[in-house]
Amino acid sequence: MLVVLLIGGAIVYYEIQWKISRVEVVRHERLNDLIADQIRQGGDYTDHPTRKRATVTVIPADSVPKNTSTYYTRGLAWNPEFQANEFKLVVTSFYVINGLHYRVTTYSFIPSFYQLLPGVVDSFKWILLVLLVVVIVSGGLISKYILAPFKRTMRVIQSFDLKQQEAIRLPLTRTAEFMELNEFLRKMTDKAREDYQSLKEFTENASHELQTPTAVIRGKLDLLMESDIRDEQAILIAEMQNALERLSRIHSSLTLLTKLENKEYEAKEPVCISNLVRETLDSFDELIQLKSLTLESHIEKGVHIPLHLALADLLITNLIGNAIRHNTPIAMRSGAVPAAGAGGRDAGGGTVAMGDAVAPAGGGCGWISVTLTREGLVVINTGAEPQVATSELFERFKKGNAGSDSIGIGLAIVRQICELSRFDIVYEYKNGLHLLAVSFLPRTAASKLLQNLSLPLHLDAAGGRPDRQVRL
Amino acid sequence: MKVLIIEDNQELARNIRDFLGREGYICESCETVEGAREKLALFQYDCILLDIGLPDGSGIGLLNVIRNEYKDSNVLIISARNAVDDKIIGLEKGADDYITKPFHLAELHARIRAVYRRKNLGGASIVEFNEISLNTDTFEARINDALVDTTPKEFDLLLYFIVNKNRVLSRQAIAAHLWGDYTDNLANFDFVYQHVKNLRRKISNAGGMDYISTVYGLGYKFNSHKQE
Repeated sequence: MLVVLLIGGAIVYYEIQWKISRVEVVRHERLNDLIADQIRQGGDYTDHPTRKRATVTVIPADSVPKNTSTYYTRGLAWNPEFQANEFKLVVTSFYVINGLHYRVTTYSFIPSFYQLLPGVVDSFKWILLVLLVVVIVSGGLISKYILAPFKRTMRVIQSFDLKQQEAIRLPLTRTAEFMELNEFLRKMTDKAREDYQSLKEFTENASHELQTPTAVIRGKLDLLMESDIRDEQAILIAEMQNALERLSRIHSSLTLLTKLENKEYEAKEPVCISNLVRETLDSFDELIQLKSLTLESHIEKGVHIPLHLALADLLITNLIGNAIRHNTPIAMRSGAVPAAGAGGRDAGGGTVAMGDAVAPAGGGCGWISVTLTREGLVVINTGAEPQVATSELFERFKKGNAGSDSIGIGLAIVRQICELSRFDIVYEYKNGLHLLAVSFLPRTAASKLLQNLSLPLHLDAAGGRPDRQVRL
Repeated sequence: MKVLIIEDNQELARNIRDFLGREGYICESCETVEGAREKLALFQYDCILLDIGLPDGSGIGLLNVIRNEYKDSNVLIISARNAVDDKIIGLEKGADDYITKPFHLAELHARIRAVYRRKNLGGASIVEFNEISLNTDTFEARINDALVDTTPKEFDLLLYFIVNKNRVLSRQAIAAHLWGDYTDNLANFDFVYQHVKNLRRKISNAGGMDYISTVYGLGYKFNSHKQE
């Protein structure tokens, strides 16, 4: 558009320049003719207004140009009336009157083309502005009208859910391109739904078909155990039981992961995670005591998160269960170690930043801390240093400790749940502590929770009290 | 107790029949919805074990029939689907409990007993064995009428042993019973060992007989014939 305007501007500029000259020249030619008529009629016209800028000279016949009776010149000249250099147009005409050759010259000062230029530019500025407004407004209106079917299709596609039973209903349109697009989308979504259904059926069938034989084997082993067997046979049976246990757990975990990936669990209503954490801790109570762990829990009341109840349960059970199972007491650390008891963290106030957290000295005891706030959940436990990077532990079948009995799928499930719910999760190992944080707020990074984690005192000050503290 | 096993896998049905048969239960089995309808029309059962996926129809449909026409029977659903939805639907439609394959037979037995206790014994929820008496409502364990201070898990474990007395209980079965099917929470046998050890100590301290013995390599057994 700018190019068009520039070209247009140049055309207009030269056109105006040409036209003004033309008009002036014609006026002067008429004036010259008039003066010639006056000369023909005779009489004194010296003070006549027509002579103000006219010069009449009688010239010899041989200095009359042959092929023209009039010409003009233009150029800058001094204008004594305005005391300025201005554009001067001089028109010279030749006449033969009563046998004498006359040369009549008239001039006038016309506006310089350079003086016109700002005006041209200015008017083009306004034209540009008006054009722009018109283009934008009309473009919006037109595209709104033309693209309406497309936008309706987009809305349908955006609300498309693989799990929905019925085919998508696309709006009718008469535009051939949109009809084509809709047809394509309809075919594609139908195919996707079919594939999803068959995948789902396959998963369920696989589950069914594999679990039944596993149940048969397990039952046979149960019966075999009760028959009269020798010691070495007992060992064989026990090993089979172990392998079977693994098989069935791996299988059910993988089935669960598939279901998670298929997004089969959608949150219907926010679940109160505070109660859930408390219940989970209660159910693990005896395990915690058996392992002689020190538990510190700080659970904010009434924290609700948008998550399916079963998933919330899985998430918390996995996180806390991991923290208990992989909890190994760490060696006593020298230096500023906060005591696990009341001494290190007085209820008076202040917070302990986790950045420089160190495991409380429990005389070689394991330690767990579970902190639940509106922002997220932080589980910290003492434990052996993982043999692979902590972030890799979210992968399936990755284990921090190759010797452990677990199948290494719990954290994969945890991550899958977090991804589904757009929770950020981070896992760090620092100073003998495993720190795992889940952020419930979409815009808060989980690592920030670890940095800013204000430990219990914060809650105490706010009037909440730690729900439960078990110290052994 | 009369039990009807509706399960299309014959081997699994036979496992259950063998196991429950030794408890003196009368077990019958059928493989289809049609067969189940016939059996149900002819006989009365205390407990019905119902597989959800049957060759000629869904067990859920059959469950509706049972709930409408044979109200006195307990129904325990056996399903290979660990889907939360199936579980909820089954319980909503009136099943008394739900067990997921692959299960331990001892676990199935414990569930059958628990359902039976809840429904048929009119609230008298006391399980007794010689000097041991367990109240499944209040979770109180008594030995020679003296209260024994057991943790919930220990109580659960003792009940499991008594229901499955004289049977070898593998550590896996015990762990699965105590902690359920927590994903990736593989049976931690140390915990089982410690629970059993504590339980035996508490029974002995209360003057009870030490019925529980270790079965080499496999697990534990509650030996009812044990004499001092």
